[in-house]
Amino acid sequence: MTWRTVVGTLATFVTTVVIAFWLINEPARMKEAEEGFAGRSMEAGAAIYENNCTRCHGPAGGGLVGLAPAINNPALFDGTRLAEVGWAGSLHDFVYSTISGGRPLASSGTTWPQRMPTWSTEYGGPLRHDQVRDVTAFVLNWGRAYEEGITALQNPETATTSMEPIDAVGIDINTPELPPGNPDDGEALTVSLGCTACHIQTEVGPAWLAENHPDGTGIGTRAGERIVAADYTGAATTAEQYLRESIVRTNEYVVEGYEPGIMVATYGETLTAQNLSDIISYLITLK
Amino acid sequence: MSLFRIHAPILDDIRSDGLMPTLIAKTDEVVTRLTAGLNVEEIRSVLRGDPPKRPNPRVKPHADGFWMHMRPTYFHEKVMTLYPTFRLGWLSVYFLVFETITGLVLMLWYTPSPLRAFEDMQNIMSNVPLGLMMRDLHRLGAEFMVMVVLLHMLRTFITGSYKKPRQFTWFTGGVLLLLTLFLSFSGYLLPWDQLSLWAVTIGASMAEATPVIGREVNLLVRGGPDFGANGLLRFYLLHVFALPLIAFIFLGVHYYKVIIHGHSLPPKEEEIGEDTARKVPMEKRSYFLPDVLTKEVYWIVIWTALLILMVTVGNWHAPLEPHADSQVTPLHTTAPWYFLWLQGMLKLGDKVFWGVIAPGILVNFVFVMPYLEVGPSRRYIHRRVGLSVCAISVIAFSILTYMGTPYHAVSSSPDQEIVAALVPQTHPGPVRTASFDELLPGEYSSDKWNSAPTENLREIMETFDYEINKYGSELPGAVGIMNIVDWQVGLKKVTLSVVWNNGEETFTQNVYVHEDSKHGH
Repeated sequence: MTWRTVVGTLATFVTTVVIAFWLINEPARMKEAEEGFAGRSMEAGAAIYENNCTRCHGPAGGGLVGLAPAINNPALFDGTRLAEVGWAGSLHDFVYSTISGGRPLASSGTTWPQRMPTWSTEYGGPLRHDQVRDVTAFVLNWGRAYEEGITALQNPETATTSMEPIDAVGIDINTPELPPGNPDDGEALTVSLGCTACHIQTEVGPAWLAENHPDGTGIGTRAGERIVAADYTGAATTAEQYLRESIVRTNEYVVEGYEPGIMVATYGETLTAQNLSDIISYLITLK
Repeated sequence: MSLFRIHAPILDDIRSDGLMPTLIAKTDEVVTRLTAGLNVEEIRSVLRGDPPKRPNPRVKPHADGFWMHMRPTYFHEKVMTLYPTFRLGWLSVYFLVFETITGLVLMLWYTPSPLRAFEDMQNIMSNVPLGLMMRDLHRLGAEFMVMVVLLHMLRTFITGSYKKPRQFTWFTGGVLLLLTLFLSFSGYLLPWDQLSLWAVTIGASMAEATPVIGREVNLLVRGGPDFGANGLLRFYLLHVFALPLIAFIFLGVHYYKVIIHGHSLPPKEEEIGEDTARKVPMEKRSYFLPDVLTKEVYWIVIWTALLILMVTVGNWHAPLEPHADSQVTPLHTTAPWYFLWLQGMLKLGDKVFWGVIAPGILVNFVFVMPYLEVGPSRRYIHRRVGLSVCAISVIAFSILTYMGTPYHAVSSSPDQEIVAALVPQTHPGPVRTASFDELLPGEYSSDKWNSAPTENLREIMETFDYEINKYGSELPGAVGIMNIVDWQVGLKKVTLSVVWNNGEETFTQNVYVHEDSKHGH
C-alpha cells in the first residue's frame, strides 16, 4: 500500500506542475495557434484563388487588361479605394462582401466591361462561407508586401494601370484602323488571356501551331486560305482581317468540326486596338 | 414574555458539556451522516490501514449510502490482483466518466452546424484556455476507451467468464461495446473537417447497402442523401444525448449483474461447473474500505496523469484537417481504425453481403455466443476449440484491418500516389511540415536530391526519389520536379510534378505553404 501512496502522490504532483506550466504558456500557445489557423486559411485561399479567380484577376492578382482590375493594388490596402466607394466598414468586410456578392454594377469610378459574378453559396455562387473567408485572407495578405516594402512581390505595372477603364476596339472589322503590332507582346497576351488553353491542341479550338494541326499548317497560313474557301461566310478580304474577325466576331464563321458559341465573344469589348494588333501580328507569323 | 423562541439544542449542549466537546461531537455526527455510517475515528482507522473491528463498521455505508450501495462490500482476494481482470472493466467505466467530463467542457464552445462547427473547433484550439488540452484529452480518451472495451471483451472470453450464470452480463457487455463504438464514431463527425466527414461517410455507406430499405436507412442516418446540417445535428444529438443515456442505463444493468454474480474467479480457483464467486470465505475477503477504494483512487490518479502527460509533454494532439468539403474526396481516406476491418471486408466484394449481412451475423453471434457455447469448464485446457477460434478471429480481424488501410488494393495511379506521399490529403506530410525558411525558391529534381541546398529540401527530394523508384516499372524514366516560388509575403507556392516517358507525360499538383501554418501541431 505504501508504494502506491508514493507513486500516486508523485503523479498528482507532477500532473499539477505540468498543468501549471501549460497554463503559464497558454496565452502564447493560443496566439501561435491563431496565427497557424490564419496561415492555413491563406493556403486554402490561394488554392481557391488559383482555381476560380486567376482567369480574370491574373495569377498574381495583377488584373488582366480589359478584363478585371488588379487586386494587389496599393489603393486597396491604404484606404484610398474604401474612401472612393464610400465604404464605412473594415477592409476585410469590403473584400469579403465583394467576393460573396460580386459586382452587379461597375463600382464607383470604373467602367470595367464585365461584371464580377457572385461567389458565395448564400447568393447562388459556388463557394462556402469559409472558402470566401479563405480567399479574403489570401487577398488581404497582398497588403503585407506594401506594408513591409517588399517590391518584388508588389507587381506594380498592372497594379497601377488596370483600375483605369479601357478604350475597347469594338466589333467592327474595318474600323478603327489598327496601329502597328508587336508580335512579342501579342504572344505574351495569348498566354495571359488564356487563348492558348484552347488553341494549343486541336480538341476545343483549332491549334495555331503547324506541328499540332492535322493540316500541318499554322494559323497564319490557314487564315489566308480560309477567306477564299467555298464555305467561308464572313466578310474578311485579307488574312489579318480574317484573324480580327475571328477574335471580335467569333460566330461570324466557325471552322467546320467546331461548335459555335464556344469561344468567348466579348474580346471586342475587352481588348484595345493595340492589344488586338499585337495578337494578330503574332498569329500571322505562325505559318 | 417573548413573542417567539429559537430552539437551538446545541446551546443547551454547550451549556452543559462545554464548547469544544460539543463541537467535536457535532462534527463527528455530521461526518457520520455524510459517510452514511463512518465516524471520524473509523475513517482515521481506515486511512491508517488498521484491521476492521468485529462486527465490521465499514460495511455500514454499503447498506445505508446511495453511492456505496452500488459497490460490493468486499472482493475475493483472487480478483484483486492484475490477473484475471486487468482492471479492464473498471477502466471502461473510468473512460466513460472521463469522456463525459471532458465532453461537457467542449460542449460549452460547440455549435452543431456546418456554418459554425469547424470555426468552433478552431476557436476551442486557439482561443479557449485549456481548450486544446480538453479536446486532445477527449479524443485520446475515446481511443483508449475503444481499446479498453475491446480488450475487456477479449479478456472475458479468454477466461471463460461469459459462462453460466453470466451469459446476460456478456450480452449487456456486447451492447456496451457497440455503444462505445458508435459513441466514438458519432463524435468523429463533429469537428466537421475533411477527416471527419469522409471517415464517417465511409462508415455510413453501409447504411445504403441495407437490403430493401437501404434508401430509407441512409436518409435516416445522414439526414439527407449526403451529410449536411441535418446529419451533423443527428450525430451530435446521438453523441451527447441518446448514446450516453443508453450507455449509462446498460452500464447500470451490466454492473448490477457483476454485483449479483460476483467477479468471476480465475478459472483454476473453482471446481469445474461450479461458480463460487459469491461464497467468499472470511479469510479471503478484501474489503472495499479501504483496499478496493485506495486502489481505485490510485488508478484514477495514474491514468489521469498518463493522459495529461501524453497531450502535454508527449505532444499528442487530435488532428484537425481542412474544412469538410463534400465535393472533394481526399485520397487514402479511411474509416476510424476500429471500423477498418469493415472497410477491409467491403474490399472483398459485394456491398450487401460484406457490408451488412456478414457483420450482422458476426455481431449477432457475439450476442448469443454464451447461450450456444455451454461447455461447463472454464479451464483453458478444456477450451481448446473456443480459444483457437478466438485466436483465429483476432488474426482475421488484424488482417481485415490491414486490408482496410490504403496499403491494400487502392486503385489510384502511381503518379498521384507519388505526389500524395509528399503532400498527402489526409494528413500534413513532409512538405507542409518542413521548415518554411528551408523551402528556398528554386527548382529541384528528385534524381539530384542530394544537391538540394537545405536539409529539409534534401529530405523531401529523397522521399520523392524513393517514391519514384518504388513505381519505376510503371512510370519509365520518371523524374520528380519540385518548384518553389515566393507567392506572397509569408506564402510560397510549391509545384510538384512527376514527368515520365521522356517528358511526354506529366502529373502536376500545387500546394501553398504559409510560414505560420504549423501543420501537424
